[in-house]
Amino acid sequence: MNVRIEALAEATCVIPEGRLDFDAAPGFQEALERALGAPGKAPAALIIDGAGLEYVSSAGLRAVLLAARAAQRAGVPFALCGLQPAVREVFDLSGFSRIIAVHPDRATALAQVQPGRA
Amino acid sequence: MTTRRTAVPADPAQLSVLTEFLREFGSAAALAPAQVGNFELALEEIFLNIVMHGSEPGITPRVEVFLNLGADAVTMTVEDDGPQFDPLSLPPPDVTATLADRKVGGLGVFLVRNVMDTVTYARTAGRNQLRISKRLAD
Repeated sequence: MNVRIEALAEATCVIPEGRLDFDAAPGFQEALERALGAPGKAPAALIIDGAGLEYVSSAGLRAVLLAARAAQRAGVPFALCGLQPAVREVFDLSGFSRIIAVHPDRATALAQVQPGRA
Repeated sequence: MTTRRTAVPADPAQLSVLTEFLREFGSAAALAPAQVGNFELALEEIFLNIVMHGSEPGITPRVEVFLNLGADAVTMTVEDDGPQFDPLSLPPPDVTATLADRKVGGLGVFLVRNVMDTVTYARTAGRNQLRISKRLAD
């Protein structure tokens, strides 16, 4: 799996591509930690753009959950977007889409994470 | 009828081998991508459960996977010679917990149960046997 990080003014986007399985989860978790930044250097918001994500297992969900929780503690709005149906199904089954914001695409996610509009 | 069999040690490094094995079966059996994805998920979760719960110091269980395309369903059987362990006995995760309270583990078996139609466990001849199946899409 490849992970790109795009730092925009309104949010930092983490963009995984490929399979988020047990093998890929540690690297993805590192990327999320890097994107969340050091204390005092946190982004305005953190968005995982999952449009290129083909597969996720419980190991991948775990990395997302840890990042969502770290973001919450740091007061950083956190959202997922662009999930393909198969990946969305796993997020729905696990109940994660009830505790983490999931938006259809990046533009919607960016609009929703603007301060004061959450 | 399409069938496949493979065996690997319960070592996380074998996960990619099993994924390839499953994909090859999916092509040979002409399964829909979503169906293959469900089995990939089930196999990853089951295999890693064996890795976590079945290994003892100095002992790595051997995991055997059988795939079968029947007339109306795909069946996968995963057997290992590790200590007796029924993954179906694990308590289900609380999928309604809040973000702060949500446990990070325990989701694997829950996902397997939810993406498959049937999941059964048996301990036979000193082996753990997990049999899962999913009906073919209409």
